[in-house]
Amino acid sequence: MLSKLYPFSAVIGQEELKHALLLNAVNPRIGGVVIRGEKGTAKSTTVRALGELLPPADESANEGEKRPGVITLPLNATEDMVAGGIDFHCTVRDGYRVFQPGILARADKRVLYIDEVNLLDDHIVDLVLDAAASGENRVEREGISFCHPASFVLVGTMNPEEGEIRPQLLDRFGFCVEVSAEHDAEKRVEMMLCRESFDENREAFIASYGKENERIAGKILAARRMLPNVRMTSHLRGFISELCRSSNVAGHRADLVIEQAARTNAAFRGSSVVEVDDITAVASLALAHRRRDPVPPPPEPLQSQERQNRDEQPEQDRGNKEQEQAGPDEEEDNGGQDFPDGRSGPEERPSENRAEEERQKAPEQSGDSDDADEAALPEQVFEIAAPFKVRPISSPKDRAMRRGSGRRSRSRVLQKQGRYTKSTMKRRNNDIALDATLRAAAPFQQHRENLNGMAVILHDQDIREKIREKRLGNLLIFVVDASGSMGAKGRMAASKGAVMSLLIDAYQKRDKLAMVSFRKDSATVNLPVTSSVELAAKLLREMPVGGRTPFFAGLLKGYEIARNHLLKEPDARPMIIIVTDGKANKALGGRKPLDEVFDLSLKIAGEERIRFLVVDTEEPGLVNFGLARKIAGMLQAEYFKIDDLQADTLLKIVKNTTS
Amino acid sequence: MKQQYTYPFTAIVGQEQMKLALVLNIINPTLSGVLIRGEKGTAKSTAVRALADILPEIDVISAVPFNLAPDEDPEVIRECFAVSGGTLPLETTPAVEKYKVKVVELPVGATEDRVVGTLDLEHALKAGEKRIEPGLLALAHRGILYVDEVNLLDDHVVDVLLDSAAMGVNTIEREGVSFAHPSRFTLVGTMNPEEGELRPQLLDRFGLCVHIEGITDPNERVEVMERRFAFEEYPEAFCQRWSEESERLVERIKKATELYPSVSVSRESLMAIANYCLEVGVDGHRGDIIIMKTAKTIAAYEGRKAVEQGDIDTAAMLALPHRIRRQPLQDIVMDVSSVLKSRAFERVSG
Repeated sequence: MLSKLYPFSAVIGQEELKHALLLNAVNPRIGGVVIRGEKGTAKSTTVRALGELLPPADESANEGEKRPGVITLPLNATEDMVAGGIDFHCTVRDGYRVFQPGILARADKRVLYIDEVNLLDDHIVDLVLDAAASGENRVEREGISFCHPASFVLVGTMNPEEGEIRPQLLDRFGFCVEVSAEHDAEKRVEMMLCRESFDENREAFIASYGKENERIAGKILAARRMLPNVRMTSHLRGFISELCRSSNVAGHRADLVIEQAARTNAAFRGSSVVEVDDITAVASLALAHRRRDPVPPPPEPLQSQERQNRDEQPEQDRGNKEQEQAGPDEEEDNGGQDFPDGRSGPEERPSENRAEEERQKAPEQSGDSDDADEAALPEQVFEIAAPFKVRPISSPKDRAMRRGSGRRSRSRVLQKQGRYTKSTMKRRNNDIALDATLRAAAPFQQHRENLNGMAVILHDQDIREKIREKRLGNLLIFVVDASGSMGAKGRMAASKGAVMSLLIDAYQKRDKLAMVSFRKDSATVNLPVTSSVELAAKLLREMPVGGRTPFFAGLLKGYEIARNHLLKEPDARPMIIIVTDGKANKALGGRKPLDEVFDLSLKIAGEERIRFLVVDTEEPGLVNFGLARKIAGMLQAEYFKIDDLQADTLLKIVKNTTS
Repeated sequence: MKQQYTYPFTAIVGQEQMKLALVLNIINPTLSGVLIRGEKGTAKSTAVRALADILPEIDVISAVPFNLAPDEDPEVIRECFAVSGGTLPLETTPAVEKYKVKVVELPVGATEDRVVGTLDLEHALKAGEKRIEPGLLALAHRGILYVDEVNLLDDHVVDVLLDSAAMGVNTIEREGVSFAHPSRFTLVGTMNPEEGELRPQLLDRFGLCVHIEGITDPNERVEVMERRFAFEEYPEAFCQRWSEESERLVERIKKATELYPSVSVSRESLMAIANYCLEVGVDGHRGDIIIMKTAKTIAAYEGRKAVEQGDIDTAAMLALPHRIRRQPLQDIVMDVSSVLKSRAFERVSG
């Protein structure tokens, strides 16, 4: 091993984590562990230390003893490093293709450790998952067809701050452990002392824990031998399935994992009979990441009402459409009732008058048409509602080459940067894929004429170039309605919560941002294009609300930013996110404010490089105008109500409709 | 060869916190680096580059470009020789030379293969053998890795940095080679927070964090201009003038390095540190450990063998700003003591 590792037995606290790892060391069929937790909680230290405790992979092979028990999969690994490829050294010498095993081959019968597993590239994840599921790695590339066993314990660590892990990958892990920092000051002191004496003299420190480490290693070995003899009664199996059923887990993996883990736990205790305690000791580890909310949500009045609304929604939509087709006049009437105040200029009216009128309106319309009193309302700054996890939003992948960096949308890139995913015979930018080139040339070496004393003779047709791929951040332009109508009923707090959630998502995807807000008479660019999400969050916190709704101006401003950005980077895919209730009531020209917006929407929808996303903040109430939805239709935008933006809500909707 | 003069470290006006943080890292490399946050033109880069002057000398195996220490694992040394195209016969000790600790600069636009190291293309074609061309991480082993504008670093380069900072090992897994070499470096980064924040994982890798601003005292500002002018006009004379001070600092660092192992911390002080961290709310345990180490290093720098309360306070100021738990996307706390006060106030009032 390269550096001397911190010993496993010297890790203080984190009992659950250690337990989970030890069980997996005894029985790889449990299916690995994913460790979630904040930084600096000894996640990686513990996993790496586990390697020292593992018995040699093959008890007869001496060479195996030397190899470390934990194989690390670096984030920058390429496909052929993971799966294996041609060994060019041997291929050149022998004149036929020789397979060189990759990381998966080395990880066979060991621990495969992925630090920051949530950041791993998707195509590598697929490879690892494939191997983990089948216990073997099948290589079909560059003219080699090869298959070797690859059964390993998959251990991943992640910090949820950097984004979540794909659910499919998450389910593959048998256990999930949440770790957090120690709250006991005594233990923290102990930790400092241990760490310091370790740094001072590694050998001595490791030696002082050698006995304890050996004891654990011995226990693992004994438990491995015991495992095949461990019996479990069938009524305990029933208990397991009951546990899983009551936690609403998806699929059967949880049952199987608990069964294996309980038997392992018994073996680890040195007993050959599984008891109830064995099951309860491991159940939480296996269920933590699989548990789902029970299907009928708790009967809170608010939620059930929401659900009703959602059920009604399709009908309403149909109604809206019918309305649109059947009688545009009706729609006009609707608008006519509510928006003339804005047009005729509220400045001319005494404000008490309007306020009184509003008071009369209020009980009937429950704040849904409060644009009239917008100007009268004092400016307010609303709190930000609790942020949530937003559903994934990204541009579809295509073949265009782009520049930049980030984490949102996957794209091929022309720069000599990004992950090298495959090689191509097409010549583009002299980004030569040496490995692929050599591999292509290798089989012919013995037959080529050597003219200039080179060891490898390359012909033009051997040259391969790299295709690189990376995720790029998009430019997200937030166009936020900050007019008075948004101030009603905590709607702005909810909207701010939604924008905040999008901002956190934008941080995790490394997007660029711009923010436009519109209120009173004009739209302002609060934030020109930047990558500082913090600045955007700060501005959002301080954003005041009040005044009328110059929607047209806001939309136009957002579009201008996108267009300017496109001039600079023609291949970019800016996204305009409009947060509004759609009730425009301040025109720029002399026409009806809504008509202006509709016209503009239709016009800018023609720019195909810009994508739109409308977040409708209109509260479901007695009277719904569905204006935001209508505008979204014209913009060919994706359309969400605030609640639909949440990742789990969407999942729930999908589930409800499919079941 | 034309002599290149760097502005002397000791001639930098003000910015005491930054200078202290850098010096502490030289004394004790296990502090794992400094993040310097601040606006443009506040002598951030000047200070880091000037470090070269006051860095100590270390023993390095000179035959291979991996900055190996003579007491490195013999197997590692042999492997490093193998991938550099040479061989080290058994039972021989490789030649050792004394080198100054290096400041290696990682430019923001660096590609992954330059950072990690790659296959030597020329050699592969000519001799048909795999030979490693070491990257910046090999160069920075036992030295200082300096990243200007670290917040603008490309994501996949950050991933690589995190991997090797965590393990102290850099693994080259590409183009049909798989090779690992030790890479323990002191990470020094500078950034302007207006251009975006660092990823939390990377942020946590920096042991200390200092926030610097332009100097507000007019006299000191004049001093800055005068010194800069003097340096540009007569660099040689200027460096000469400050050389004595530099030597004093080098001597002090050397003494502190020797003293460090014998500095002791009382159990009460450790309890105080742990409680402090619990009180202000810090992510993980790295904060505790770094405070202790920093406090010990400060004591050694002051020539004392026991840690005092003042050392712990200073250490907390340096080690905690970027570790205090915050709301998502909130700004980094600049004044640690204010947080403590407000938390204490909350406890009393609520």
